[in-house]
Amino acid sequence: MISFVLADLRRLWLGAFVLVLLVALATALGVAVTLQERALRLGSARAADRFDLVVGAAGSETQLVLSSVFLQPSPLPLMPGTVLARLAADPRVAWAAPVGFGDSFKGYPIIGTTTALVKGTTAGFAEGDMFAHEGEAIVGAAVNLSLGAEIKPMHGTAETGGETHTEIAYRVVGRIKPTGTPWDRAILVPVQAVWHIHGLGHDDHEEDHHEDHDSDHDGDHEGDHHAAEAHGHDHHAHGAGSVEAVQHVTEVRAQGDATALPTAPADHDHHAEVAHAEDGDEHHAHGHIDPGAPLNEAFTEEAPGLPAILVKPKSIADAYRLRQEYRSAGTLAVFPGEVLTRLYGTLGDAKMVLASVAAGSQALVAAALLLVSVIHVTQRRRQIGALRAFGAPRLAVFGIVWSELFVLVLIGIALGFAGGLLAARLIGDVFTRQTGVILPVEFTIDDAGMALILLAIGTVFAAIPAVMAYRQSPAEALRG
Amino acid sequence: MLTLCVEDLVVRVSDLEQPVLSIERLTVPAGQHLAVTGGSGSGKSTLLHVLSGLERARRGRILWNASDIAPLPEGERDRWRARNVGLVMQDFHLFPGLTALANVLLPARLAGAADAAVVARGQELLARVGLARPGQRIETMSRGEMQRVAIARALLRRPGVIVADEPTASLDVESGAAVGDLLLEVAAETGCTLIVASHDARLIERLDRRLTLTAGRIVADNAQAEVAA
Repeated sequence: MISFVLADLRRLWLGAFVLVLLVALATALGVAVTLQERALRLGSARAADRFDLVVGAAGSETQLVLSSVFLQPSPLPLMPGTVLARLAADPRVAWAAPVGFGDSFKGYPIIGTTTALVKGTTAGFAEGDMFAHEGEAIVGAAVNLSLGAEIKPMHGTAETGGETHTEIAYRVVGRIKPTGTPWDRAILVPVQAVWHIHGLGHDDHEEDHHEDHDSDHDGDHEGDHHAAEAHGHDHHAHGAGSVEAVQHVTEVRAQGDATALPTAPADHDHHAEVAHAEDGDEHHAHGHIDPGAPLNEAFTEEAPGLPAILVKPKSIADAYRLRQEYRSAGTLAVFPGEVLTRLYGTLGDAKMVLASVAAGSQALVAAALLLVSVIHVTQRRRQIGALRAFGAPRLAVFGIVWSELFVLVLIGIALGFAGGLLAARLIGDVFTRQTGVILPVEFTIDDAGMALILLAIGTVFAAIPAVMAYRQSPAEALRG
Repeated sequence: MLTLCVEDLVVRVSDLEQPVLSIERLTVPAGQHLAVTGGSGSGKSTLLHVLSGLERARRGRILWNASDIAPLPEGERDRWRARNVGLVMQDFHLFPGLTALANVLLPARLAGAADAAVVARGQELLARVGLARPGQRIETMSRGEMQRVAIARALLRRPGVIVADEPTASLDVESGAAVGDLLLEVAAETGCTLIVASHDARLIERLDRRLTLTAGRIVADNAQAEVAA
């Protein structure tokens, strides 16, 4: 029987090939949707794994998580530096670290943070070591920079037409082991350097910090915008383009206001000046950064405004208490895991839609399969009748028709699973290159269930033309 | 070797008032070579189908060696036919993509009856019908060769009767004659009863007995004529 089935399939290879292709494509669609959705869920959950509690200024929880955990650039409101000082001093907090972003280099986001965060969220260094001075940087595993490379931060990103801080350069001193998170694509620098580049921090602009300090009492992030604008004023006062708030987009807004005034040419003047300066003294007064300065990670109430703080509570109970406490007075505290769970709810709806589309296409293919096989059996009435006339039992005839179709469905489903996996992997790779989030695309036991269901449907559908063949009278078929 | 005895056979189809076949009595002794002739629509094919159990006879008895196949259900008629009847059809009904030998063995294989002895017999039979290459693909053969393969297939399970429906009608004169010779030879060698529906005068005149059907009834039977005479 097997040789007969194989001879038949060889003879009808083109039709068989098209059927297999149809089944494979419909299966692959469903498999890819399932795998991709699961991988996205798992991958993002793993990326957020080490982020116990994130504190930011009042605003969108989702945006806070996307910006701090997934490093998606977006305009986050700033919260006053006193929040960090208070958290750092809190006995329930193991460590609290600022996450300052806004600058980038060659498309990699530059994150200002502390050694505590690096130690707390990574598995150590693949090469080199932690930054120890203001002018040093460490890079994530996926950053294509070697040790010793110079980093000239660009304000914002190239896409948004950022301006390069040509006057300052970090030097790469370490590479972190892969974490499978977007932080693999990040350049980490001491937060104090970020502040100093942007003309913030302890050693100058006392007035600004007082202003920050004042505004945090009313806990209104309007106050932060105000602070940012105040920096804008600084900007003009100093005539230095690098004097900006930590959070660039917020500041861009402020600058937008500022450029409405006829002060924009100040930037160009500044550039000219820098170019001039590079000939001479690298440590010209414009970059307020001292690459050799030691790290100072004791945050006082004087610290500048911040978009996000990552907090490692000492216990779960502390985590809940802290979240409760920092959910008021202008700040927002979230468990990234919780926010992601809510996002998955939305993602789940999208998956439902995609899965329905996939199921619809599978139903269409099943219908097409049925149509083709019924036509096929009708066309082969004579052959099927002859088989029985010459002594093949009815069950053998049923078996031949059924197994021919079933073999095609089986191959199609197998190819579909392989193709779906491949497609999900390819999509996952693109996603990883773009975001750094590693998507664990893999089959689980649930997929075996899906395969069994598809096989069961294939079994039943293949049986329909087989029953037709079984019931056909050999004499009528021969008379044809 | 099977003796056939048909009694009160009536075959009707639903939309015709006249029966397509109506035979009061017909006896074919074991080993006899019978020709069935008649125009198209005379009931020749129906008679062959009913005799070989392809079609069910709702009225009457079809006794092969005294066992009636008329009341058997479809599955049992299939099994009886597989064991007792060697069929040879006008259109061969061979399966492309398979070799000559695979075609000969196919029904036995599908019935799970193809042991080593049956395979060996298949090869012998192909040699007997004059085909030297059992591994040749069926679609590369001439029509005459194809009918030889079909004859080998019919003989595989040592049937008691060979039923042939227009075995030479789709062949040219030369290969038709050769196939006719072969049929008569193998029937004689095995002692099989042979029932052939045919228009081929050269084949018919070489058979023992000739039956002529018109509108489902026997209108001439040279055996009875001789008896009557």
